Amino acid sequence: MAHNWKKLSLIGGIIVLVALVPVMTRRTDILTWFTLILIYVTLSQSWNIIGGYTGQINLGHVAFFGLGALTTRYLWLLFGLPLPVALLAGAVVAPLVALIIGVPAFRLRGIYFIIVTLVFAEILRHVAYTAIPVASVLPAELLTTYSLVPRYYLSLTVAVVAVAVVYVVSNSRLGLGMMAVREDEDAARTSGVSILRCKLSAFLISTALAGLAGGVFAYYYVGAYAGYLFEPVWTFDSVLIVFVGGAGTIIGPIIGSVFFVFLQQWLATILPGGFHLVVFGIIFILVVLFWPSGIVGGVVELRRRRRR
Amino acid sequence: MLEVNNIDVYHGDLQALWGVSLTLQEGEMVALIGSNGAGKSTIVETISGLLTPATGSVIFNSICLEKEPAHRVVQLGVCLVPEERQLFPSMTILENLELGAFAPESRKVKDETLKFVYELFPILEARSSQAAGTLSGGEQQMLAIGRGLMSKPKLLMLDEPSLGLGPLVVKAIFEVIQQINRSGVGILLVEQNVRVALGLANRGYIVENGRIAGHGDAKSLLDDKHVKEAYLGIS
Amino acid sequence: MVELFAQSFVNGIMIGALYGLAAIGLSLIFGVMRILNIAHGEFLMLGGYAAFWMFTLNNIDPFLGLPLVAIALFLLGAGVYKVLFSHAARLPGELKMNTSLLIAFGLSLIFPQLATAAWTGDERAITPVYSGTSFELLGVRFGYVPLAGLLVALAVTFGLRFFLSKTYFGKSVRGTTENWKAARLMGINVDRTYLLTFALGAALAGVAGILVGLTQVVMPPIGMHWTLKALIVIVLAGMGSIGGTLVAGLIIGVVEAVSHIFIGPYAIVVGLVIFLLIMMFRPQGLFGKA
Repeated sequence: MAHNWKKLSLIGGIIVLVALVPVMTRRTDILTWFTLILIYVTLSQSWNIIGGYTGQINLGHVAFFGLGALTTRYLWLLFGLPLPVALLAGAVVAPLVALIIGVPAFRLRGIYFIIVTLVFAEILRHVAYTAIPVASVLPAELLTTYSLVPRYYLSLTVAVVAVAVVYVVSNSRLGLGMMAVREDEDAARTSGVSILRCKLSAFLISTALAGLAGGVFAYYYVGAYAGYLFEPVWTFDSVLIVFVGGAGTIIGPIIGSVFFVFLQQWLATILPGGFHLVVFGIIFILVVLFWPSGIVGGVVELRRRRRR
Repeated sequence: MLEVNNIDVYHGDLQALWGVSLTLQEGEMVALIGSNGAGKSTIVETISGLLTPATGSVIFNSICLEKEPAHRVVQLGVCLVPEERQLFPSMTILENLELGAFAPESRKVKDETLKFVYELFPILEARSSQAAGTLSGGEQQMLAIGRGLMSKPKLLMLDEPSLGLGPLVVKAIFEVIQQINRSGVGILLVEQNVRVALGLANRGYIVENGRIAGHGDAKSLLDDKHVKEAYLGIS
Repeated sequence: MVELFAQSFVNGIMIGALYGLAAIGLSLIFGVMRILNIAHGEFLMLGGYAAFWMFTLNNIDPFLGLPLVAIALFLLGAGVYKVLFSHAARLPGELKMNTSLLIAFGLSLIFPQLATAAWTGDERAITPVYSGTSFELLGVRFGYVPLAGLLVALAVTFGLRFFLSKTYFGKSVRGTTENWKAARLMGINVDRTYLLTFALGAALAGVAGILVGLTQVVMPPIGMHWTLKALIVIVLAGMGSIGGTLVAGLIIGVVEAVSHIFIGPYAIVVGLVIFLLIMMFRPQGLFGKA
């Protein structure tokens, strides 16, 4: 009991500290870093649910981020809806679409899900560039009054929600089913787990959070092409963060996001163009080959060894 | 010819064999008997190179097998006809047999060996272009044994050849196994059908719970009290 | 209108042949070792660049230089497999699939960056003297180079089928595909078989890349685009069906080309629709086993 209170107050303390950052400084670089980290926390946690906990590798994850982002952006800027409504819409559109491809895919072997999400994301990207060739830029009034602070707090709130969702789900019966599916689908099936329902639920939750992350990003970015919201690099970043941090854990993606954003910012200063992707790609492959349980896994292993 | 010395074998984290030792002389037929799950298959899979023992050694004609990969073990003259045959179902009988002779040494004498196999199992020749998956159980077993022979083994290991087959077919197959043995090929026979196995073999080993519980001359094992009670249903 | 249809149909066949050619290596690798190499398109991209530089720097005709490109990609594929995939290939089922998928995903992000760094993001097209030439038949224009592409695709398809059914090594590949455990018991070196198969798949992708360079353009980002085309093709054909790959490619090519008449640049969505339909009504594809 005491252990739980300790943990809870620690977490509460951290959240309060993070919330106080904009009060302590107005430096745009620090606020930007934190905002990005928090957005990545949400996005990576959303992938964590389907990929880390349920073991379904969704390489088209960006599609749902993009759908959420696009929905929120247009409802907010074009139709003038209040931001919370636009955000909610984004978080609803993504899982609705997920349902359409998830239901046929999950009835078949895992490979179909892998391919359909990949194909779907790529086609969406192509369509976005084609259908919306003009970049979406914040109109003048919003540009002059642009402040990072509300973005910061929004992304913090959403990140807390995302982590809370992961916590609740992972400790629920659904979470148990998801992990059973990840470990051994056949064994899970014979134990009475409804594979279709587990995978679908995980997918819906995952895409809803991804759509939410997209919505936050839609509020955050000043100008970008619609197609950019569907670039595969978003998927890659999420997957990298989850694996480096620790797939199927709650803290893993949080640690991974911090590590990722700082490394990315640093590499951008010393490497040309998109070359930091090469570094990340190599790190990713190395982690998958030699260290698939990530940082959290490494720490757990260290603790286990010390206890012996 | 074959010496298995004190091997411990694990399936993942679970130990399956404890200090198993056995020997097989050239031209001998040795039976491994024991109930389901006792570890008999694990023993022959280890000898064949599919599994690696954690400790102990497997020596065949003075060569250490335990570190060799499975495909090398075949080239060295030890061939396993696995439990449940494990054929290539959509490939024809002929193709299955041809692949049996894949190893370079056996490939050279492939046609000769094929003739020998067809003599042993004329029905395989008659159906040579039929897909292996469409054969009956008995025919599949014959194909599996024939395929094993194509690698020109000095030691042929058979894992449960009588499984799922009717008595007449079993009789025919065991007659062929005897013929093969008489032609000079050593046979290590894993069998649940203890009576038949000990009837054919020179010697036998009893495998219980991953250990060798007893061994001896086939005839004396048949008369052994424990064997009679546990495996022959005689009390 | 009829001419438009007929021309679109012919164009569709030509590009469909490329789709099939691009997919055949992927199908081979997946069929044999159950690894979905989503970096397959990167090998295609590299093959295209190889042919481009051979032509531009050394004046080697892309068709004559085809064997060189194939060998180069074969070696690259072998290296990539040995270093990155050989460990994953020995893992069981799901783990093998997920691990190899992630590794290939990483590669699909690394290779385009390396290509950009080496050769810039400019579009490259291989334009020998004869490119762009064509003849007319019944009001429809047939390009010589795309026609050659179709011939290459046919040759590769039949060549591969011959290799798999008539050669000893090819049969061992089929055996390994059906039952790798039994294959080991016949003296077949499964690790080596996987290595050679993967390398062959990469080489085939490289060959497809040459044709892409001749009929379209080569740029660093085209890898994923072609990987996805290949994925749709192999699902339509039926995973593991090598013979059906070319047919499936042709079908998709034609359907896309004809849809282009009606929905222009959104014709790409057709592929997704086909995919969804297959998933819902015939997951084993046109030629796969149920």
